[in-house]
Amino acid sequence: MSGLLEVRGLHIASAAGTIVDRLDLDLAAGETIGIVGESGSGKSLTAKAVIGLLPPGVDATGSVRFDERELLATSERQLRRLRGAEIALMLQDPFTMLSPLMRVGRQITETIRDEDGRRLSRSAARVEAASRLAEVGIHDPAVADRYPYQLSGGMRQRVGLAAALASDPRVLIADEPSTALDVTTQREILRLIRSTQDRRGMSVILVTHDLRVAFSFCERIYVLYAGALLETATAQALEDQPLHPYTHGLLTSEPPLSRRVAKLEAIPGSVPAAEAVLGECAFAPRCAWVESVCRAERPALREIAPQRLTACRRIDAIAPELVVSLPPAAARVAAANGMEPVVRIRDLAKSFGATYALDGVSLDIAPGASVGLVGESGSGKTTLARCLVGLERPTGGVVEIDGTDVTDYDALSARERDEARRAVQIVFQDPYSTLNPARTVGFTLSEAVRRSAAGRAERSRSVTELLELVGLSRSFAARKPAALSGGERQRVAIARSLALRPKILICDEPVSALDVSVQAQILNLLGELNERLGLGYLFITHDLAVVRQVTETLHVLHDGRVVESGPTEQILGAPAHAYTRSLIASVPQSNATWLAPVAP
Amino acid sequence: MTASAATGASAGPRRFLLRGHAVRRGLSPLVVAALLIVVAVIVCAIAGPAIAPHDPNAQDLATGISGPSSEHWLGTDDLGRDVLSRTIVGARTAVVGPLLVALGAMLIGNLLGLLAGYRGGTLDTLVSRYADLVYALPALLVAIVVVGVVGGGYFVAVALLVVLYSPVDTRLVRSATLVQRSQPYVEAARVSGIPSRRIIFAHLWPNVLPIAVANAFLTFAFSIVSLAALSFLGLGVGPGTADWGRMLSDSRTLLFDNEWTALAPGIALVLTAASVNVVGDWVFERLSDRGRVR
Repeated sequence: MSGLLEVRGLHIASAAGTIVDRLDLDLAAGETIGIVGESGSGKSLTAKAVIGLLPPGVDATGSVRFDERELLATSERQLRRLRGAEIALMLQDPFTMLSPLMRVGRQITETIRDEDGRRLSRSAARVEAASRLAEVGIHDPAVADRYPYQLSGGMRQRVGLAAALASDPRVLIADEPSTALDVTTQREILRLIRSTQDRRGMSVILVTHDLRVAFSFCERIYVLYAGALLETATAQALEDQPLHPYTHGLLTSEPPLSRRVAKLEAIPGSVPAAEAVLGECAFAPRCAWVESVCRAERPALREIAPQRLTACRRIDAIAPELVVSLPPAAARVAAANGMEPVVRIRDLAKSFGATYALDGVSLDIAPGASVGLVGESGSGKTTLARCLVGLERPTGGVVEIDGTDVTDYDALSARERDEARRAVQIVFQDPYSTLNPARTVGFTLSEAVRRSAAGRAERSRSVTELLELVGLSRSFAARKPAALSGGERQRVAIARSLALRPKILICDEPVSALDVSVQAQILNLLGELNERLGLGYLFITHDLAVVRQVTETLHVLHDGRVVESGPTEQILGAPAHAYTRSLIASVPQSNATWLAPVAP
Repeated sequence: MTASAATGASAGPRRFLLRGHAVRRGLSPLVVAALLIVVAVIVCAIAGPAIAPHDPNAQDLATGISGPSSEHWLGTDDLGRDVLSRTIVGARTAVVGPLLVALGAMLIGNLLGLLAGYRGGTLDTLVSRYADLVYALPALLVAIVVVGVVGGGYFVAVALLVVLYSPVDTRLVRSATLVQRSQPYVEAARVSGIPSRRIIFAHLWPNVLPIAVANAFLTFAFSIVSLAALSFLGLGVGPGTADWGRMLSDSRTLLFDNEWTALAPGIALVLTAASVNVVGDWVFERLSDRGRVR
């Protein structure tokens, strides 16, 4: 295969310093490669640098050769001709990537020209839009006349794909094309890209943070970390035997779907800025095998087997230790049998106008139990959480906490409301908005203990205790949220929710916004808290692998109804309901059939 | 995990971001100039009589009107009073009134806006309609009529402007509160059982404050001009007081003998109003940077 795209020594920097350091990358015609990295790795900017779409103030040097042309030396005018026509970019967020005021059909045909280079006539554009939509699996031509807000996330992502493919590019760069989507939709979109690619012989660069997606979709994978390329290999080889401690760490902190493991191996700390680790191995500050040689200079990638490069200097010595073995652990069993449930929900219903978010949900949470609630977006799982803590008022059914009817929080006496809050607390999803940006961590936590701790001294002692409980030093009390990483913020949010010493903690997607290596830290923390404090959980997530690690019983929510409940292991091992089966089938797998086209 | 590892790793990128902001939003020459002017005006307002080279009200009818000289840098007016001294001392009414208006309007606007935005419902409707009603009144015209008919001079005008300008603050703070109210950090505070009053003032308000402060500077700049206009029409300070608006009005007939009688208060007025605007923008950026998250 001849190289179609050849990146050599790509260096991306802004005024604040280096973002990507000396990156090499090859893409052959028809090949699929993956650029995998956590937040701050520089993966998206690398993709944008290739087609000259870096934001102002960010510059790239080095060499990007595409089909015998040097792109970094190409004028903006010529690049514009190249974009879309030769190399197309598909962006992550289906909700903002389409112009909200333009009909879908026009967004797709906007760049298409006829043989004479003229815009298409109105009727030709209609025909073209319909056929392009059909190619991405939308067979209703009326969709072309709709506005983006009238479409679901998955539909928008399809339209985005159709628009990216409009000028028949030779390379498609897909930047997290499925991240914002539900698992079932994710599989459809990936399948769609794959089938289009097979039909056209197009090359694809998939940029993702999700190793499972990369393994299932890509032939070769580049592992990027803090602006440095750490390892590259074929997907199969990488999955079988990682040859860099970072890749190894990623694979061991990624919870498997197939079994429960005793403890996930979390990588300590969080991802540094590229600039902060220049002149040493980028992973050295977090590496368990680090030696002085790793810190002396930035190690270069070297070939240790065909198609297999690693930047680890000590790989010869440590390779045998880099084994990904996650020994299965015994299933968590509901231990609290016979104990009165803390939370009892019966026939809970909540409607917004004519639409039902929840429709007859019943479940119990016993003290110390860990109950999972899985469902896709719109299934009503967050509404259920909000009803439990009084942020929404249910329109039907009963919620009881410790035997008290708390269906309507506003109708409770102050004491009852206090007791309910002492029993059940909540951790929200987004670590960025969950803390008050104008206040210090110490203020936020001391506010939460105001009711229980009188006096300044006692409050400050409680704050220190809470911080230690979630593995943070007391110095964090003086910091504002902006100075914290995502994982640290989520720890603070957990500390806040523990201030009233609740019996049950509702975790609404607590790790879905975090990097994989940090996600494992938080999951382990929740496990520890369960053992130390006897804390029970209602764990709400869309991620089946996560749910298998942390819960004993599971409820599958679909369109506001529980379609299946039972022990977690049993449901994931032998799902009874069709919807549960389709959820499980949607988790990325690295076998050839996962992305095979569905039989018509 | 060890806390120190987390600290070291995360401090890096954040510090970088902050440094980037500092470079971009540092003190530009314009801001420096505006700050100097504002400080100078405040100094004059506080210590004007001590700084002024002459007694601003000392008449020298023998000299009468005269152009700039080494004794009177900006000349004298028709009563032989020193124009420079009067301009310096005039800073006091130029600053005190607008300051009261800005603070008063901010206080009322923040209170009403926070309550209406957070509580919603009937209270919100009442406050919003009231704000709309007052908003619809032409502020200056109402002030002219009321002060003209009722009398009472400067401080009645100030009180009127407080009431008439507060709907701007109310609306702004209300809409900023609506945005903050549904943020998870506010919901988390509610779930923790923190009383509403405390959520509003201790948790939510600091996040609304930057925009309220920025608007206070705008109100200040508007009121400088409005109060000067009232003085110009003879509805503000008493006759003979050293006041920029009054000076402008008195100098109408003196333009051809000493143009500085009009230019000095005019320039002071425009420069102060413009500088306060620039400083307001700068303060807003600084304040809203504090809690920048992403």
